[in-house]
Amino acid sequence: MAARTGNEVGNEDRRQAVPCVISIGTYLPCWGSTRRRVLGDDEDAVTLAVQAGRSAVEAGEPVERVVLVSRDLPLMDSSNAAVLLAGLGLDPELEVIERLGGAPAALDALSSARPRTLVIGVDTDPAGAAAAYVGDRGGTQIRTAARVTRSLPARTRNAVGAVHDYGDPRLLRERGLVASLSAAWVDTPVAVAGVDEKQAAGLCRGEPPRLPTLGASAGLFALTSMAEWGAPGLLVGVEQANLSGISVTPGPVAVRRVEPSARPLPEGECLPAADLPISLAAYDRAFEAKVRWEAGRHAGSDELDFPPRYRLAADGTLSTGYTLVPLPRTGTVHTTTTVRIPVPGLKTPYSLVLVELDEVGVRALARVTGADPGAVGIGDRGRMVLRRVAVRAGVPDYGYAFEPETEAS
Amino acid sequence: MRRVAVVGAGMTPFAEHFALGIKDLLPMAFADCAASVDKGFPIADLEAAWFGAMGTTDGFPAGVLADALGLPELPVTHIENSCATGNDAVRNALYAIASGAVDVALVIGADKLRETAQRDLLGEWESFNRDKAWDVQLGMFAPAGFALHVNRYLHESGAGREHLAMVAVKNHRHGARNPKARLRFEITMEQALSAPVVADPFGVYDCVPQSDGAAALILAAEEVAGRYTDRPVWVRGVGLGLDSVMYQHKRDMTTFPATVRAARRAFDMAGLRPADIDVAEVHDYFTGIELMSYEDLGFADRFEGRKLLETGATSVGGALPVNPSGGLKSKGHPPGATGVAQCVELFEQLRGHAADQVDGARIGLAHNLGGPTAVAAVTILEGPGR
Repeated sequence: MAARTGNEVGNEDRRQAVPCVISIGTYLPCWGSTRRRVLGDDEDAVTLAVQAGRSAVEAGEPVERVVLVSRDLPLMDSSNAAVLLAGLGLDPELEVIERLGGAPAALDALSSARPRTLVIGVDTDPAGAAAAYVGDRGGTQIRTAARVTRSLPARTRNAVGAVHDYGDPRLLRERGLVASLSAAWVDTPVAVAGVDEKQAAGLCRGEPPRLPTLGASAGLFALTSMAEWGAPGLLVGVEQANLSGISVTPGPVAVRRVEPSARPLPEGECLPAADLPISLAAYDRAFEAKVRWEAGRHAGSDELDFPPRYRLAADGTLSTGYTLVPLPRTGTVHTTTTVRIPVPGLKTPYSLVLVELDEVGVRALARVTGADPGAVGIGDRGRMVLRRVAVRAGVPDYGYAFEPETEAS
Repeated sequence: MRRVAVVGAGMTPFAEHFALGIKDLLPMAFADCAASVDKGFPIADLEAAWFGAMGTTDGFPAGVLADALGLPELPVTHIENSCATGNDAVRNALYAIASGAVDVALVIGADKLRETAQRDLLGEWESFNRDKAWDVQLGMFAPAGFALHVNRYLHESGAGREHLAMVAVKNHRHGARNPKARLRFEITMEQALSAPVVADPFGVYDCVPQSDGAAALILAAEEVAGRYTDRPVWVRGVGLGLDSVMYQHKRDMTTFPATVRAARRAFDMAGLRPADIDVAEVHDYFTGIELMSYEDLGFADRFEGRKLLETGATSVGGALPVNPSGGLKSKGHPPGATGVAQCVELFEQLRGHAADQVDGARIGLAHNLGGPTAVAAVTILEGPGR
């Protein structure tokens, strides 16, 4: 059996510092059930990654590279990276690695991460994202314990998304999880990510953490729980017959979970319609301000223009020299409406708001997210969050939506 | 500036004219207009035309008009100023005549919304109006945009949905008597208030019916008006006003600054005050716009527009009847034609032979708002006898 043992991997490990996770952010959409979260209509793997990633580095931790692990990236051609960096508020010069994989791939990304790397795992069904930031020192230490790569394609998805399921869960369990675990010669794990709760419980020492997802984010969710519990030991990530194990030595980690309670996705109607066209010229001009949530400010002026624009002085001279400055992400609903007639191409009903952003004299027009249509009223508080507002002629059109504050948040 | 008269006015019914194209509606409206000219109107007297159309049905609008009228030598200017197109066409023709450049001009407006499938109407007609990168993908259709204004207005003014319903009931009552209106039936308050919601606070009866139609006016300089009629209607004032296009930039949602600006210019030019108006055609694209516009046009103090409805002042028979034609609400709203058709109604009102006549009406005001809410045009007309 072509398995590499933990010892061999361990030799590689010694050549670099042991990655230490000092902060973690998680995100679960509010939709679905407690057991199975589903994407909102305006969410995809990138918006989930941004939510989790922003939580992980909320304190301003310096990020030098981002690894995004998922099997559900929205774009195969073109790039998800620019939106990811803009949404995270990171420098567009940073390296972004879009890594295709499940729970083992995310744990591999973490155990091989250099300091100042943000590793984000994302899944869309069940939906959830978790991001771990590897700092310079301290925190929870991650060491590779095992890696097994075997082929057991019990479920396949090809380049255009066609899925084929072999239809034999017992085979998958026996010749996947169990066979690879035995080939890896590892201790009894504290947590197993990538398989359902019942299978995980049967393999773990004590009760394993309950994980909301099954793919790339699952191992990071498990790490989050181990860090919170201060539980040392082995964390195994599995995907079919592939397995990666890391040994976790807990230390102080700032954990920021954004995991609102689950509720059913509102029902709605979506009539078919011609594709909403997109102007890529307009998309390109708006991108920085729109996805980074920034306004223009001209030299010598305190006024913010949103969207940014050229200005004319009283004597007719042109000013093109504005700089982009971040806008507040919190605000108050100035007015709102809920569209209830079926609008072809849009899921209705939906709510729109004009939001007065805090203390800058700037308003934003946005759709409401994370709340049932019609639930928001004038005066309600909330925050602006990155969402995939539309898909236009095959292009995901990202922008900000208004998420009302709930009692829980 | 020379004084300018309206010597003829006419229109097609507003309807879903599936069987008629824009090239049919244009000569129909012109013929109805020419027939209203007391001493007759030789078509060759036209020196220029201003054609208001928001869409470009069947191609280049100015040429389509000249072709449809059989007047290839007529210089035609196409006016497109969103829903304010009609009254802006009047304004431009007035300037040409008042300046002395032209003696007799045609103002005609037409649009053909129902060339588009009902399913595609919102997408096709609304996508002109929104920023391509920032707004169009949000689903900010006209009902939603106006609803953002009206909800804030209701929040601050203390008016309620019942006041919107009063506008709908009133304008349906007026429109039921207008043979050219699309929706010729009355409704009750209960029907208005219990109708399915389009975008709150608007129910179905707070919204206009999508319609086709055309309307025409013949304008003439004072010096030549007597050739056509001894009872001209005078154009006393015109005004155009604008406001920010993006909702993000509108600071006070409880007023339409475009209307305030247009009305101020029109009243200044006319040397008149809001209290001088006897009858008005106000842009009730949604019922709440009529309510808010009472204040912007100076008919009511701020946040007191609802009192005009509560007292019946704006019904025919009241002190200041508004939309005796039924308004956009009942008559229909082919945008290019709408403002022109308002002036057709006022022409008839001020000459004393309207379908739903306002007793003794001497001065009338027509008002459009569009863009959405970024442009307004106001025209003030005075009846003969001055």
